[in-house]
Amino acid sequence: MKRTVRDIFVTAGILIAAFLISIAFQNVFRVDEHISTLFAFAVFLISMLTQGYVYGIVSAFIGTLAINYAFTFPYFAFNFTIPVNLISALVMVTIALLTGALTTKAKYQEAIKAESEKERMRANLLRAVSHDIRTPLTTIYGSASTLLDSKDELSEAQKETMLMGIREDSDWLVRIVENLLSVTRIDSGKVKILKTPTVVDELIDSVLFKFKKRFPSQQVLVTLPEDLVIVPMDALLIEQVLVNLLENAVMHAKGLDRLSLCVSCRDGRAVFEVRDNGCGIPAEKLPKLFDTYFEPNETVADGKKRNAGIGLAVCATIVRAHGGEIHAENPPEGGAVFRFMLNTSGEQP
Amino acid sequence: MSNKYKVLLVEDESNIRTLVSTMLETHGYQVIPAETCSAAKLMHDSYLPDLVILDLGLPDADGMQIIRHIRKETLTPIIVLSARTGEQDKVRALDLGANDYVTKPFGSAELLARVRAALRTNRHSADEGKFPGGSFTLGKLVIQYDARRVFLDGNEIKLTQTEYNILAFLSEHHGKMMTYSTIIKTIWGDTADDSSIKKLQVNMANIRKKFGIKPGDVTYIQNELGVGYRMDL
Repeated sequence: MKRTVRDIFVTAGILIAAFLISIAFQNVFRVDEHISTLFAFAVFLISMLTQGYVYGIVSAFIGTLAINYAFTFPYFAFNFTIPVNLISALVMVTIALLTGALTTKAKYQEAIKAESEKERMRANLLRAVSHDIRTPLTTIYGSASTLLDSKDELSEAQKETMLMGIREDSDWLVRIVENLLSVTRIDSGKVKILKTPTVVDELIDSVLFKFKKRFPSQQVLVTLPEDLVIVPMDALLIEQVLVNLLENAVMHAKGLDRLSLCVSCRDGRAVFEVRDNGCGIPAEKLPKLFDTYFEPNETVADGKKRNAGIGLAVCATIVRAHGGEIHAENPPEGGAVFRFMLNTSGEQP
Repeated sequence: MSNKYKVLLVEDESNIRTLVSTMLETHGYQVIPAETCSAAKLMHDSYLPDLVILDLGLPDADGMQIIRHIRKETLTPIIVLSARTGEQDKVRALDLGANDYVTKPFGSAELLARVRAALRTNRHSADEGKFPGGSFTLGKLVIQYDARRVFLDGNEIKLTQTEYNILAFLSEHHGKMMTYSTIIKTIWGDTADDSSIKKLQVNMANIRKKFGIKPGDVTYIQNELGVGYRMDL
């Protein structure tokens, strides 16, 4: 409905402008010849800016009538016998049709491109996930079989190690599944997430609770605003983002001993920052850090690369679906900082 | 003959059934398994268990049916097993009368903690929700119901009327997850909508502040995003 109203205004506006300019041409400059060109141009503009063929064609007819009525002899009367008029009418209708066709095709092409880009990302994600799932499964399956088959040959200590490995890798799998579920929550065609007013303190409580379950010995310095801050968001998804960022720091920031989480309000936005004093992000990784799930030719030689590929991409997808932004940088004092911003007004930008 | 607590386990996946039964039996509970909704209703009525553990993803019916059936007659504590994304289901189950939930996948420690809390709550409910001496103690928190005073580690905490009411309500059901709508209905008699939830959130934030609770510290008042609050250590 909004689109229709807008299109009508655009059409009316351009036609009126053309009309006025033509009158100016006629009275001020005393030239008649360019008027039909002017209207042809108007029709072209209208066809480009409006949706579908209707407005273009309608304006072509209105243009013809206008020229006939106001700008050709006899002035201010209709006379449909002059062939020149008919030709310019035809030209304008053709322009309307062709332009309409062109813009429709352009929009269609864009839609296809976006769709195939999405497909590519989805394929990459699936590939990454299959790879990421297979690794812990290998340990789980292998350990369980060994425990069953070689019961008598294993020492108690060995059995204990295998069982702990099973639990650790199951944990890893749970994280992957949670990330996947987050992606499916938002990836269903229209990127519409359900935002509910969430108290920042409560969000951080949940995040830390979850994080401490996996890394009980890792201290996190938390800074929150003094006053109550309520931000509209899908709390489970943003919780996922923060947990991913914190875990990412623990898993990848070598030499980390200070990990901090800071929330502040700036210019009507809530700013979330996860900062560590580890080895920083390798410069070559920075530009594409959030963009790809997993490029096929990236070798995962380093077994510690767990979840990094999916984790950050999921963070970016979630934050962007909220209409927010996410950045990463290596601050001058060393380490790395991951920062994302969410609107506090709840309006989808 | 047996003094063990009877737990009715409603779960269709045989591996999960075996797993949970093992967790419970090795800790002294007696497990009565049921695979379907109809079997569950039958078992409940014949055995009158002390606790029901119900998986919300049953094949033949909505787990909600079982909750309604049980709640028609008894106050048997019900713990639901839910998938992580099933927020709506969790809230529905709690509002229909389930006491608590455990998110899959879960470890034995988590499940057993919920089981203990649910059984403990039930015992106190039998005493009309009042505690001996008219006061409630949990860790360093003491609530004197008659005087309407609250103490944390010996220091008195000054709460507003509303804040006290909320705290007392949570304490009467301590260990149990109270949904936004349950709290709002009890304290204000309203339905849960954006403005009443915000009112509740503001009150909870004030209580947390007065208690001096640091972020990440989930003692006494635990929150479950989008669901509600629970008082626990």
